[in-house]
Amino acid sequence: MAAFGGTDTRARKLRWSLLNTLVVVYALVPVLWIMSLSFKTPATLNDGNFIPREWTLENYRSILSTTEFLRALLNSIGIALIATAIAVVLGTMAAYAIARLQFPGKRLLVGVSLLIAMFPQISLVSPLFEIERTLGLFDTWPGLILPYITFSLPLAIYTLSAFFREIPWELEKAAKMDGATPGQAFLKVIAPLAAPGVFTTAILVFIFCWNDFLFALTLTSTERSRTVPVALSFFTGDSQFQDPTGSISAAAVVITVPIIVAVLFFQRRIVAGLTSGAVKG
Amino acid sequence: MRVPATTTAPGDARPPGGGAPRRRRHRSSDLRIALLYLAPAGLVLAAMLAYPLYQLGVISLFDYGQAQASGGAPLDFVGLDNYARLLGEPRFWTVLVQTCVFAAVCVVGSLAVGIGLAVLASRVRVVPRMALFLAALGAWATPAVAGSTVWLFLFDQDFGLVNEVLAGIGLAGMENFSWTYDRYVAFGLVAAQVVWCSFPFVMITVYAGIRSIPADVLEAAALDGASPWRTLRGVIIPMLRGLLVVATIQSIIWDFKVFTQIYVMTNGGGVAGRNLVLNVYAYQEAFAASNYGLGAAIGVVMTGILLLITLGYLRAQRGTEES
Repeated sequence: MAAFGGTDTRARKLRWSLLNTLVVVYALVPVLWIMSLSFKTPATLNDGNFIPREWTLENYRSILSTTEFLRALLNSIGIALIATAIAVVLGTMAAYAIARLQFPGKRLLVGVSLLIAMFPQISLVSPLFEIERTLGLFDTWPGLILPYITFSLPLAIYTLSAFFREIPWELEKAAKMDGATPGQAFLKVIAPLAAPGVFTTAILVFIFCWNDFLFALTLTSTERSRTVPVALSFFTGDSQFQDPTGSISAAAVVITVPIIVAVLFFQRRIVAGLTSGAVKG
Repeated sequence: MRVPATTTAPGDARPPGGGAPRRRRHRSSDLRIALLYLAPAGLVLAAMLAYPLYQLGVISLFDYGQAQASGGAPLDFVGLDNYARLLGEPRFWTVLVQTCVFAAVCVVGSLAVGIGLAVLASRVRVVPRMALFLAALGAWATPAVAGSTVWLFLFDQDFGLVNEVLAGIGLAGMENFSWTYDRYVAFGLVAAQVVWCSFPFVMITVYAGIRSIPADVLEAAALDGASPWRTLRGVIIPMLRGLLVVATIQSIIWDFKVFTQIYVMTNGGGVAGRNLVLNVYAYQEAFAASNYGLGAAIGVVMTGILLLITLGYLRAQRGTEES
């Protein structure tokens, strides 16, 4: 793309790169600061140095030795994975219908999923709390998996149908004419074309489930199903005499860094997923 | 994490010309198959959304407290009493105004930072642009709880980097400054965090929009000697109006619903609830004070407000489609 705004003078170039640096600092410093805190010893925690003067892994060792944190990590991973798998399967089916079939009421369907995406989750928390307690789902994995599926479905359906619309579906017919069975046509032709979209959607849904705080806070009460974001907010340290800052920092790094690394690794796909609909507007 | 909400039906592109008769022939069988494919998602949504929504309305009409929740006491139907109590409560109005102002600040902040960065990204070379995008995606992907904690630690009274730096450049009084005590300072800090995690979406969306503007239009503006600011106002904003309207309304909807940041950063709504927003207020009434009926009434009010915003969104959407 052509640069706009006249020719670049040296001063202007300098201004832009200065601005650029400032922005990168604004976006990156918080993450770097928490990493720095997580490697500091209790004695140097308050020294305000950006780079730790004494490096230690003690904070990580201490959180990873508590069942409280390990159990929360296991809950987070398990719940997010199961919810993602189910939401993507249900979303794929619905998106296929929306992208390929003509039927009355399709626009209504879009309105409904829009409403779900806009919906204030807090409104559902009290009734869900009631319902889950009656059904015995409160403080269980399914008790969190179900709301996660519900609120990620609109996102999954939307992203998937945007991707599915781009698939040249005639290829399926062509494969059948060449003698492929319907199953083969799907597996060999359509599935590879659809995979990137499904994968992107899965990443977005997983991040949504992984980051949730509200449902995890209200629909769990014990270690049995508490996820890391909630466990983190309850962190108090090994004893009341210990400052929990180091442990909290280490826990925050453990839940943040893998997600950031995954996002950066798949950034092209994620950007495509985020902009798939917005730009067409 | 902030993600786009459904805008238009992605699969709604009708076959150009002559599609109608064919469609009519296929319609009945298509509908059956479509229902089959949509049924599982529909079932989940009906059970997990429609039914609880109905329950929400019901709870809001009862005096539903701790005694009722634990199953002992009988339910007492109070009609619209919860709503009357809510509207008669001065705190509700304070919180409502706070929520609106807070959301407005966050929306303006994320749009300004997001659009500015999108323009910046379209002007710099590949390597700095990559740096911009990587930093933005990092902020976007950080879980809200972790992000809030990070910002708290960054502005901590004792060991925060910000106070250290401010004291270092000669502002001695800042050394022990508390960023979470004063109502407005605390709101400002939370808003800065909310902008931090919501500008990336605006930036990525608007950047994609700028990329879709034909290069010769921008070249022409450059040849005419327009400054970046002029180009933004005269070319980019008018050409991306639809996109910007969508991004704005989505930001309004998100920032109206901020929960985690306020809950974590102001410790559940600030000293004596000074930093409450509607979302956290509903939570505190229902779960901390065990006033489930009142909490549900707040939930209904919030749903109503968001419904209105959504309808505005749909109208704006229709306007964009037509133009």
